[in-house]
Amino acid sequence: MRTEDINVCILRIEGTNNEQEMYDAFKRLGAQPSLVHLNEFSTLEGFQCLMLPGGFSAGDYIRAGAIFASRIRSTFGDELSSFVKDGYPVGGICNGFQILVELGLLPGDGQGVTACLARNDSARFECRHTILKAVSPKSCAFTHLIPEGERLIIPSAHAEGKLLLSGGSQAALALEKAGQVLFKYVDEAGDENAGYPWNPNGSPNNIAGICNKKGNVFGMMPHPERTFFKGNEHGYSGKTFFESVLAYIGETF
Amino acid sequence: MAHVAEIDLNVPDAELARLSAETGTGLSVDELKTIRSYFAQEGRNPRDIELQALGQAWSEHCCYKSSKYYLKRYLFHLDAPQNLCVIKEDAGMVAFDDEHAYAVALESHNHPSAIEPYGGSATGIGGILRDVVCMGAQPIALVDPLFFAPPTTQRALVPKGVKHPKFIFSGVVDGIRDYGNRVGIPTVAGMTCFHPGYLGNCLVNVGCIGLVKRSDLIHSQVGGVGDLFVLAGGGTGRDGIHGVTFASKELADDSDTSSRSAVQVGDPITKEPLIHACLEANEKKLLTGLKDLGGGGLSCVVGEMALAGGFGARVDLDAVHLKEEGMEPWEIWVSESQERMMMSVRPEQLDEVLAIFKTWDVTAVVIGEVIAEKRLHIRWRGEEIYDMDLVFVTEGPMYQRPLKPVYRERIVPRYDEPDNYADTITALLRMPGIASKDWVIRQYDFEVRARTVAPSLTGRIARETHADAAIIQPLEGSKRGLAFTADVNPYLVALDPFWGAASAVDEAVRNIAAVGARAHSFADCLNFGNPEKPEKMWEVSQAIQGLAHVASKMGATFVSGNVSLYNEGPAGACPPTPTIMGIGMIEDVDTAVTVPFKQEGSTLYLVGATKDEMAASAYFRLRKIEGGDVPKVNPYLLSAAAGCLAELAGAEKIRSCHDISEGGLAVALAEMCLGSGIGADVRLTGTLRADVALFSESNTRWVCEVAPEHCPSFEEMLRSRSVPVQAIGRTDGTSLHIAYNGRELADMSADALYVIWQQPLWEIMG
Repeated sequence: MRTEDINVCILRIEGTNNEQEMYDAFKRLGAQPSLVHLNEFSTLEGFQCLMLPGGFSAGDYIRAGAIFASRIRSTFGDELSSFVKDGYPVGGICNGFQILVELGLLPGDGQGVTACLARNDSARFECRHTILKAVSPKSCAFTHLIPEGERLIIPSAHAEGKLLLSGGSQAALALEKAGQVLFKYVDEAGDENAGYPWNPNGSPNNIAGICNKKGNVFGMMPHPERTFFKGNEHGYSGKTFFESVLAYIGETF
Repeated sequence: MAHVAEIDLNVPDAELARLSAETGTGLSVDELKTIRSYFAQEGRNPRDIELQALGQAWSEHCCYKSSKYYLKRYLFHLDAPQNLCVIKEDAGMVAFDDEHAYAVALESHNHPSAIEPYGGSATGIGGILRDVVCMGAQPIALVDPLFFAPPTTQRALVPKGVKHPKFIFSGVVDGIRDYGNRVGIPTVAGMTCFHPGYLGNCLVNVGCIGLVKRSDLIHSQVGGVGDLFVLAGGGTGRDGIHGVTFASKELADDSDTSSRSAVQVGDPITKEPLIHACLEANEKKLLTGLKDLGGGGLSCVVGEMALAGGFGARVDLDAVHLKEEGMEPWEIWVSESQERMMMSVRPEQLDEVLAIFKTWDVTAVVIGEVIAEKRLHIRWRGEEIYDMDLVFVTEGPMYQRPLKPVYRERIVPRYDEPDNYADTITALLRMPGIASKDWVIRQYDFEVRARTVAPSLTGRIARETHADAAIIQPLEGSKRGLAFTADVNPYLVALDPFWGAASAVDEAVRNIAAVGARAHSFADCLNFGNPEKPEKMWEVSQAIQGLAHVASKMGATFVSGNVSLYNEGPAGACPPTPTIMGIGMIEDVDTAVTVPFKQEGSTLYLVGATKDEMAASAYFRLRKIEGGDVPKVNPYLLSAAAGCLAELAGAEKIRSCHDISEGGLAVALAEMCLGSGIGADVRLTGTLRADVALFSESNTRWVCEVAPEHCPSFEEMLRSRSVPVQAIGRTDGTSLHIAYNGRELADMSADALYVIWQQPLWEIMG
């Protein structure tokens, strides 16, 4: 389908607060984004993409993303499962990633909730620019236009971004082997094991973003929508994520 | 059982003083006598709710009774063509472009933060956001200037009833972080200043900037008779009772227990949808007026909105949604519970307004209506409990309090040059006022909304230095940006309130020019001691004149502000602190200049004149040297120099630029090195002694890095406008090398400078 016919649902509740920049990103590329409050949500029908933006949905008071995830489950949980099964892309940035993990859609092996985004090792909110190395970008709808090994500067801003998997480091390795690890935090020289502050949250294996097996559910802590215009030396920026998913939808549906 | 009590004012004067204390209204005996004669004409005594309302309206915080005279005389008449609607309302409105305006608000939340740092600072953010939203503007940036006693203060020095500055500092930052990040407005600029004088009374100033289409600009006044008052947001509770009267007296050693209820409880997750809903209702043209509930709560908002429109109001107090049972009517009326906004709405548009708030899960209820008569009537449980003339309530007294000048004897200091300049530079970089504030800054989301094109930390990743000003590009499709800075040096103001205040404006203008922008507007938050003490009142009047001295020549004026007096506690008065928020405009954000050196082989220039103005300098404080002259400001030179730099930056003739402030030239050069890793070979010449040349804090100075091909035109422009400029060296290698009149003074690696400068606050705060 044509880009100008692609409808993107950007879902929000109280405390969601990165929705405008996500809206702008899709709008600039010619798609049709809509900001939809969960109270006004009726169906995913007619939408080809669902985005969960960053922020502090419902204050993140129980656990980051837990309240929004539970409200999504009770409002349109079944419809969302079919949406994912049909191959439509679902993306979550920052709080959105936390929500997708709380929904069990990421890593999404069909086993329910198998991961969590735990408090940063520094035990504090960290706002800093991070360098991400693309590990297996080709496997995901949101990143397939980024060449493998490419390094992008994408800002991070979160207090709970340490990705813990229920299987520990073995699960992380398995995830990487399955091509589901999209990005890792690295330093200026590209070193994956540079530690803090290059890895701002202490994520084991320096994982910054992942996708499900099928590659249509995507989540990451850093914010591509915040660096839409600022490309790296090869011209890749946050913009490429949005171009990727629109290209995927255009080719698939 | 809640009830309304009559208060007998026909009692001896001594009784009146006791009555003021007992009711917590903070009214003076003279003010109570004025009230007594008003009620004599009415033929009755006031009820408690009426007296409480007057206490709120006539508090220093609400009616500026001590400062108004000086503000009117020196500041308020200054005007600039870009000003649209300034001083009069909760935020000043300034033209952004032909279609848009920006809103500026700056306030203090000092007393609550001293008692309860987390809640005090969080609700400070909440309050300043509402000040911007009530103009119909979308908040786009927060600015937080903070002032504490050093967090290393020994426990034994902390008086009874005072919380340790490390606890206060940490709690204040937590509060700003948790509120600002949750509502999703970037905290982009500010300052963190340490001075022992803030021990008993920290200062938490909060600024906010918003953007609105000019056609959506709304005012804090009702439209006409029959308009409904719709109260939206959180419930009204017993948090925040007597906030303004508490803020209008000195802190006491029992304030923690006696005034805890004056501190409000913040809830960003009620605020966030409240902002969306208010702005949506305004954009759909469903409101005739909008105002936030801040100091004085309902008691201030209803009367002020009605009177500003030329009308009165009738209120049904039972309609107000409450957080708790059993509140006295006067408590409901003066409560400063957070997250509340008042709208005036035509009856035919009420349903549509209520539907918007329902979607956002925000409570909104009708609590009254506009009437023609300029009086306010309140009914509660079927009875009228309040009936007063609105002009009488709202006008408030104005005082010209006695002044006592305090002129300090001029001391010519005698001191030797330091033995080792590298050690001195190291010690300066480690001073809490100069060292990196990234411990604070990184806890704030400074990039949410994705409009921050130049954040407050700038440079290579993981070795960023402080920016002079942060820049936001607020509109999709426009390269125009706004630059933000907050400045004041209380050490200087304490020595000389006039030149100290003037220097604060100079620094704001400097910071704005350094990033390539032009000063476009200012806001001031005047934090001073007890105005009933003549020497404190003199400081206020001097500082206001100092602000006017500089601002009157800048083509930008004070568009908004706040006066916070009575900043005194068990440990004495805080240093006089006129905080300045400067807002600059840059036509094309792509031409913005940042602090870190960009490449080797550039020429370095010192712009401006260095003088022997060492009083209160970081160097003198480090070495505990008293005396010397305070830096003065020549506003004409400042205007010319700042104009040149903005023009040169716009023409992309400046690679990097940094203003010279605390620590002088040597520290400015170090900060430019450490953010990039690029060094400099600096060879200064001059007639001053070397330490004066390196560490003087004379105003109106910058260091600029210029590409060799632009040097002739750079020099030519500054010289043609009589701005002193001197080539002082070039960027080179990876270390900072400084020589003066041929004498080698320091050679320090950029990597080492970064560590020296970055570590101190982390060592203290963990």
